[in-house]
Amino acid sequence: MTFPASAREERGATAARDRTFWGKLSGWAPYGAALRVATASPRRQFLILAICPVIWVLTQHLGPMVQMLRVSLTDAYPVAPGTPQHFTIEHYLAFFHDPLFWQPFFRTLSFAGVFTFCTLVLTYPVAYFLARHVRPKNRMLLLLLLLIPFWVGEIVRTYAIMILLGNTGAVNLVLKWIGLIDRPIPFMYTSFSMGVGIVYLTALYMLLPLYSALEKLPASLNEAAADLGAGAWTRFRRVTLPLTLEGISSGCTLVFLISTGFYATPVLLGGPSTTVFAETIAGFFHVAGDQWPTGAAFAIIMFLAALLVTAAFQKLMSSLRKGDSK
Amino acid sequence: MTRLSMNRRKLLTTAALSGAALATPAYLRRAHAQSGGEVNIWTYNDFVPEAFREQFQDETGIKINVRLVDDQGKQFSLLAAEAPNPTVDIMTVAGHRFLQFIDSDLLAPLDTDRLSNWGNINPTFSESDWATIQGHKWGAPILSGMEVLAYNSDIVSAEEAQTWDTLFSETYAKQTAYIIQDMMSIIMLKMGYDGNMVEYLDNPERAAAIVEEAKNFLIEHKPLVRKYYDGGAEFQQMMVNQDIVLGHSWNGPAAALINDGFPLGMTIPREGSYGFVYTFNIANNAPNMDNAYTFLNAILASPEVGAAMTKASGFISTYKGASEYLTDLEKKSTSFPEEQLANLQFFRAEANEMKYGLVDPAVEAIKAA
Repeated sequence: MTFPASAREERGATAARDRTFWGKLSGWAPYGAALRVATASPRRQFLILAICPVIWVLTQHLGPMVQMLRVSLTDAYPVAPGTPQHFTIEHYLAFFHDPLFWQPFFRTLSFAGVFTFCTLVLTYPVAYFLARHVRPKNRMLLLLLLLIPFWVGEIVRTYAIMILLGNTGAVNLVLKWIGLIDRPIPFMYTSFSMGVGIVYLTALYMLLPLYSALEKLPASLNEAAADLGAGAWTRFRRVTLPLTLEGISSGCTLVFLISTGFYATPVLLGGPSTTVFAETIAGFFHVAGDQWPTGAAFAIIMFLAALLVTAAFQKLMSSLRKGDSK
Repeated sequence: MTRLSMNRRKLLTTAALSGAALATPAYLRRAHAQSGGEVNIWTYNDFVPEAFREQFQDETGIKINVRLVDDQGKQFSLLAAEAPNPTVDIMTVAGHRFLQFIDSDLLAPLDTDRLSNWGNINPTFSESDWATIQGHKWGAPILSGMEVLAYNSDIVSAEEAQTWDTLFSETYAKQTAYIIQDMMSIIMLKMGYDGNMVEYLDNPERAAAIVEEAKNFLIEHKPLVRKYYDGGAEFQQMMVNQDIVLGHSWNGPAAALINDGFPLGMTIPREGSYGFVYTFNIANNAPNMDNAYTFLNAILASPEVGAAMTKASGFISTYKGASEYLTDLEKKSTSFPEEQLANLQFFRAEANEMKYGLVDPAVEAIKAA
């Protein structure tokens, strides 16, 4: 009796598999039984597949935030071992009772809003050019070129900005060389240098959603508008912009949320009048004492405020999209 | 079915690796720290000279792991968060911050009998009042420093640098920088008060009023400052980039710039200033206690090591005879005229709890203003 070649190959593969760890494990009865129980229904298969991402989200994302929330509700932390801790909301009340903290808080929100708008204005033309005017085969190459600065860390890129904007930096040297200035312009340690740094660091988070939205936009819509007599500005205002609102919404949300949490960049590039709330929060963790709960409470307040602003922005964008679709 | 089998394998492998990855940090932290072949040190940049580090590792087989710190408060917070089982063996605490660490059970008393080279430290530092607390030594003094007014000597004259007022003058508006917390003590001294606040231990209202006055002074002069900074490297960078032309600094980073040939001068202004001593300390319940003592004894062994620490950090060595190994320029950058030294007093710890309880919120207020 002879077997067809495919059957022989399958039997050979099975035998080879049996010699491997996984082959032996597959043949082990308790393993087989456990597997049958675990994958008996689609619901169970879903649970098994979901367990890793759920563990990841719980331990890496929610875990630290829950811990921060817990610390914010204690009267002191860190404390010597054996010292009793009590729950309190006094650290939250401290924010509302002391106007001292309001200025960096609102400054952070307004900076984040302004920098988000600047990032949108600066990156939209880049995304538009990339999605509408670059040949498809060259797009990946250009995207990779745009991504190059993001291969290095935030601190290195921040120092690059310092090298550019310092009194002896490239920008001042060029301005001096072409005769526009006699003395260096003090760009550094101002809201300008901080803004340049934050826009530079967050540009990618705006660019990619915008590019994605613009790439999906059929060229025929603009062509039809042009056929009907719409000029370039009208086509952009009435066709392109409304149909890329989703990308704008995603990009702005990402950039705004990231901007509210920046710490190192404002510390390195900012000056005495640009103190942001992250620096105030860090101050409570850095001083030698048990002030962590105040810092934690302030961090939670900033988190909630940023979420509220984002929710309001999303609501606005959603209503704009609905208005345009009518 | 084959596809399902592959998925199961991938799933199980991923689950196993994820579980292992999640469990690893907690396991590694203690296991790594408790192994016999290393010593974990939290210290400032350049406080452990590279040549010494390599020689120590070669000769003892003990690996030195350095974690850089730039602030006493941050170091305290890190250690407090890890207590009672810290990952660190040796920290670098300034003498005037001892009490805070001791009161929180973060430091182990130093057994100087285990340090045969203890006698190599100048007794001015090792046997001074602040060095003995509750009948114990708590650290090995290694470097001493002071708060100075540092200036670009091509732009600012030595005469102008004799007073802290120049730091707040319109002439150099937006060309100055300082560390706010340190400046609070200096401003109190400049105003004629005790910046250590020991005089006001029995009068907290008076202490609060003085801190308020110093705070208001710095807020009033905030438009003149270019940058509030935290670490010596930041100061050096701003000077080199000519973003500032004068500023408050620790003498170490300023001396390092002078030694590199930068046109920098530094003074202890006539209104006075404060000095401090950095010490190497052993953490309470340090995971590598024996290695910590081996390290401490080795680093105290020779004045050449003390000189190397001075060359690298710019601070003044506490070792006997260390200056013999310095060049003339290095000696010059680590010494001050007698009349300026007369204006110097050391930071004291007695009133720290009250002082920093008032100063820390004031610092936040100045930043936020």
